[in-house]
Amino acid sequence: MTRLAQRLLGPVTLLSLAVTAWLGLWVTPPDRVQGDLARLVYVHPALAWVALYLSFGTATIASVLYLWPRTRSVTADRVAVSAMEVSLVFILLTLATGSIWGRPTWGVWWAWDARLTSTAILGVLALGYLALRRANDDPEARARRSAVFAILSAINVPIIHFSVVWWKTLHQGATVFTSTRSLKIHGIMAWTLLISFVAFTLAYGWLVRARYRLEVARAGREAALLAEAIARRAAEVVR
Amino acid sequence: MSVTEARADLSPVAPPPRPRGRWRSIGVLVVVALAILALLSQGLLSSLNYFETVDQVLAHRAAVGTKEIRLEGLVAARTIVRTAVGTDFVVTGSKGRVVVHATGEPPQLFAANIPVVVVGHFTTRRGLTFAATSILVKHTATYIAQHPTRVRAPNGSTR
Repeated sequence: MTRLAQRLLGPVTLLSLAVTAWLGLWVTPPDRVQGDLARLVYVHPALAWVALYLSFGTATIASVLYLWPRTRSVTADRVAVSAMEVSLVFILLTLATGSIWGRPTWGVWWAWDARLTSTAILGVLALGYLALRRANDDPEARARRSAVFAILSAINVPIIHFSVVWWKTLHQGATVFTSTRSLKIHGIMAWTLLISFVAFTLAYGWLVRARYRLEVARAGREAALLAEAIARRAAEVVR
Repeated sequence: MSVTEARADLSPVAPPPRPRGRWRSIGVLVVVALAILALLSQGLLSSLNYFETVDQVLAHRAAVGTKEIRLEGLVAARTIVRTAVGTDFVVTGSKGRVVVHATGEPPQLFAANIPVVVVGHFTTRRGLTFAATSILVKHTATYIAQHPTRVRAPNGSTR
């Protein structure tokens, strides 16, 4: 990523989120059935897109790259943990916005259907991944075990995606990624939905980049502290 | 003592403590597995389907009896009647209909020609009257803009 692109990522992300909010709240019309409640369609699916596919997908690919001997690197491990943390945040936001949407439309905050339950399970798996990293002192064992865990956890992503097709769920079926590849939303509503996906994708990139830089800084600080401790010990022995 | 000799003394004199990562990892995995089991036990372990349609239930009506189920069907037009305790209406499938007596306040989106899931039980072993304790509105995946000049059909729907 060029320096200019890096500097523009934050402002462009904020601008695209602002455009999404403006279109979603003021420009788009209410839905025929759901009225103004349907405006959550410009937030909830985009959050799920980032949580399930982008973030969890990135963490899984980075984990595969770490386990593959020819591509193993500390960078892959750092990308994996950065993406997984972002994924957990977006999974929680997906569940929260879904719940807020569900109360007035379905009539309940939560339903134990296949889509909701499998998404909650993905949240537990993401949390488990981060807990597993904290449980290991040895950096190599930590990276290896968490990579295996991430890859096994990713099996849940297609289950979530197809849950509304395979089983009868209270959650609606696909509006965008339909089996017939036909959109079930049109006009300005469809364009706003597309812009929301772009906006939240940019937000994802921004957050992962920031989290990755934090991981690099943390590793650098640990190395500096170790070097400082060795130097101090050496000075004590010399004295 | 020279500096070089002093540096040689920096090598660890005792073996480092054994990393306890393995047991802590197993502990984390056990907690994760228990949490997933707890989530699955809330319904998915007994059935991955959240509800049964009117047609499915009517196909094995005798087996359903009066046990509690989640029943899905389309709210028939001109059948909604508000009562002192809730709402009465009819849900339909392609092969039959069920009369629903629901208690409590229906959701905001509850209306005719909308698919709903009613939670409750049939009042008799073979009858087609359903006593519902809650109504869940199952909205579709289609989003169509409201249009103030859209023509309203006699059954109340707009296209």
